[in-house]
Amino acid sequence: MFGIIVGLWPSVAISWRDLIEFFTYNGIATSVLSTLFVSLTAPLVALYISFMVYSQYRFNPRWQALEKRLAPLLSLPHLAVALGLVYLFSSGGLLWSSLWGIFGATAPQWLGLPHKSLVTLLLAMSIKEVPFFLLIFSALGRQLPIKSWLLQGRALGYREITSWWLLVFPVLLKHSRLALLAAMAYTLSVLDIALLVGPNIPELYAVVLYNWQTGFTVDEQALAFVGNLVLIVMLSILIAGIYTHEWWAVRNLRHHAIRRTSLKIIRVSRLFSHWLGLFSLLTLSILITFLIWSLGWNNQQNMLSTTPIDWSFGLWRDEWFFMRGPLLNSLYIALVSSIVGVLTTLLALELQRQAKRYLPDYIWLMAILLPQLSMVYGWQISHTALNGSYHTGWVVISHLPFTFAYSYLVLRGPFQSLDRHYELVAASFGCSYWQQFWKVRLMLLRPAMLSALAIAFSVSVAQYIPTLMIGAGRVSTITTEAVAIASGNEQSITAVYMLVQASLPFVAFFVASVVSQRLRGSFDVSHQ
Amino acid sequence: MLASLMPLAHGQETQRDNAANMTASPQWQKILSDARGETVYFYAWGGSKPVNDYLRWAAKEIASRYKVRLRHVKVADISEAVSRLKAESGKQSAIDLLWINGENFSFLKQQELLLGNLWSSIPNSAMLAVQALSLQNDFGVPIDGFEVPWGVGQFNMIANPNIFNLNIAGKVNDSKITPTIILKAAQQYPNRISYPRPPEFHGTTFLKQLLVGLSHNDKRLFEYATPEAQAKLLPLLWDYLDQLHPLIWQQGRAFPSSNTEQLSLLQQNKLDMAVSFNPNQLIKEQQEKRLPPSAQRFHFAQGAITNSHNLAIPKGAQSPAGAKVVINFLLSEDAQKQKLNGSWGDPTVITPLLDPASTLPSQQELHSSWQQVIEEQWQQKYGA
Repeated sequence: MFGIIVGLWPSVAISWRDLIEFFTYNGIATSVLSTLFVSLTAPLVALYISFMVYSQYRFNPRWQALEKRLAPLLSLPHLAVALGLVYLFSSGGLLWSSLWGIFGATAPQWLGLPHKSLVTLLLAMSIKEVPFFLLIFSALGRQLPIKSWLLQGRALGYREITSWWLLVFPVLLKHSRLALLAAMAYTLSVLDIALLVGPNIPELYAVVLYNWQTGFTVDEQALAFVGNLVLIVMLSILIAGIYTHEWWAVRNLRHHAIRRTSLKIIRVSRLFSHWLGLFSLLTLSILITFLIWSLGWNNQQNMLSTTPIDWSFGLWRDEWFFMRGPLLNSLYIALVSSIVGVLTTLLALELQRQAKRYLPDYIWLMAILLPQLSMVYGWQISHTALNGSYHTGWVVISHLPFTFAYSYLVLRGPFQSLDRHYELVAASFGCSYWQQFWKVRLMLLRPAMLSALAIAFSVSVAQYIPTLMIGAGRVSTITTEAVAIASGNEQSITAVYMLVQASLPFVAFFVASVVSQRLRGSFDVSHQ
Repeated sequence: MLASLMPLAHGQETQRDNAANMTASPQWQKILSDARGETVYFYAWGGSKPVNDYLRWAAKEIASRYKVRLRHVKVADISEAVSRLKAESGKQSAIDLLWINGENFSFLKQQELLLGNLWSSIPNSAMLAVQALSLQNDFGVPIDGFEVPWGVGQFNMIANPNIFNLNIAGKVNDSKITPTIILKAAQQYPNRISYPRPPEFHGTTFLKQLLVGLSHNDKRLFEYATPEAQAKLLPLLWDYLDQLHPLIWQQGRAFPSSNTEQLSLLQQNKLDMAVSFNPNQLIKEQQEKRLPPSAQRFHFAQGAITNSHNLAIPKGAQSPAGAKVVINFLLSEDAQKQKLNGSWGDPTVITPLLDPASTLPSQQELHSSWQQVIEEQWQQKYGA
């Protein structure tokens, strides 16, 4: 907490002149507006797609296949998805040039995604967030009596798909506020993807702010301070956006329910019954792209030509020796910080339940919402002032606010919507309060806890700034290596590190989905 | 012929002798013994595999020769190290050594966060080629012993051969290009030329080179950028860019974010040119088969803007002796030779290895005040 204040506090005096300079910075209005647009739209698009997919797949044998196939895309870093998309689908990208190449022609320039644009960024972010929302929905879905709502809907004479929209969507939307907020805050401040595929005339807000924050002149420091405040204002606009959208969506649905007019979106929904196939294809092509890059393939070698391509495992062999240490560090830090993060979340939720008072969500999600660079800079000042050593323990502590926030956003919905009935039954059998908590509540929450653990784990693995700033290079993780290496845009070595970086969350998500399916076998049968 | 070479050879020997004398001195012997067993945390940009590989080699050599452990702390942007030094505000530091130049150096020097007297305490700095290369200043800021040059950057362009080999006014050009040639090339091959978006360092340097070319090396560029000089010279650049931008990649509505991104666009054949500060980058990329053998290196006709990249020790470093030993090794003939001939190909800074044939004709850096002026006005004109 102290760190936040230290980090956000201006190091220089702020004058009117600085404010004027900020607002007259060329392109600042466009920067702010386009950043707000992407941050608001990408998560919402992802949410709608996820809901349509969820409604098409949930009570369907294909659901288990979907849950398993989420793992690879969930674990790929955002940057990897953006890189893969641009490489495959941009104008002059691999897809078009090979399609046209078959006929010996060159693909037209206009075809394909622009290399750097709002659309490209929007697409990359929404594709990447879909599996995240599906995971959130699946954690929620296990706690909500969706099946019986659909039955009630049928009794009222609605078709199933209509019931999904009229009865299930409003509830899921309400419970996904935090997830939406997290996705929006991430899009708002993400730097590497904005640099790579975002428009840069003018630059996106995160990039402008980063340039000021890392500048040294008094002017830049002042601009950075004003910029951070504006960032927080932008966040509140996004929060307002979430509520406005929810209000608008629910009002619209209610309107339709009363008038019994048909919902246009239902027709769109059907398209998503083929989503799994397309999605798997996309994930697979991104993975294959990275794999062939890592084996040394590049555009100088032509797949279609007769000269053999010299595939080589050399890069893997060379780097593996240097990756083992960082990989183990990542694993250890992520394990400890995700477990502690989930436990603290349970504690926070249980204490609030006992007090019968829930604090506003933004307090718990502070770590996600505040500008990370300034906040961690503050921690760094406190850490050096305390003469803290550069131990792994400190890095774990610096990850906790993030793992806590993400597990809070996964667990809050399921925790609050848990059917109290079971605990009452347990109480009638003479179970004490804590016995009810351990034997009933936690048991019922197991699937959600697994999702929370997996997400917290992957969040910890992905941390670059806190690890570098608090670990001071003594504690290098696979991500500190991968991010530094990716900054050089050398595709083969970047691919090696990104694949290895993705492997850790992949294992976590995969294990979580397998275990939760096992668990479901034991008690979910009766609830479906 | 021989006579003219004599002074150089002579100078070389004295520089070597000076270094040897300093190495033998009790002061340096004490530093060597202090350094034994120390770990040196070296903050350096980690985005280049050749540089990372070179530092791995250096770490192995240093460990076996001096019993000092060198740890490369890879950062995505060296400003992360500068911000750490700012947070530590001169107290005990987590950084023992860092790789910097330009405004990062100027800031740290001005804040008095760097250890001084490096040149006089590190023996191999006696071999620095101060006569042949401009190693006393870093972007117009006197180095004053607060950092030691490690390598040299010379601004050049890597391009597909067809693009700049235009037959202009009946004269086939060699590897020298001018702003006019670039504009002609852009007209003939629209969408294939670009440059990193300023204030990215390479992008700004590209603009500086254009300005030098357009103003025919006006001497006011090497003095403080007075309002009069700005009003006289900058319109040359903006008029030129007004013509160029509609013809370049994405019609100037987007730019590569960095030189490395531009290089990867060239590799993917989405652009016909990239900019670089490493004069040997082309050869190294071709050796790695990442660029076609036909690609060529070009530089501006007035010469390549040349500057050094350097090593500095924070005042609060916990292993200053170890850091000095590392710098001394990195300046040694072995290490500089490996740096030049290995996969990195970074030019040397010491006299004994200096090879005038392989260096590009150099162009003096503009006065440091021009940098901010160019960046700000570019942002104002083209940034939105």
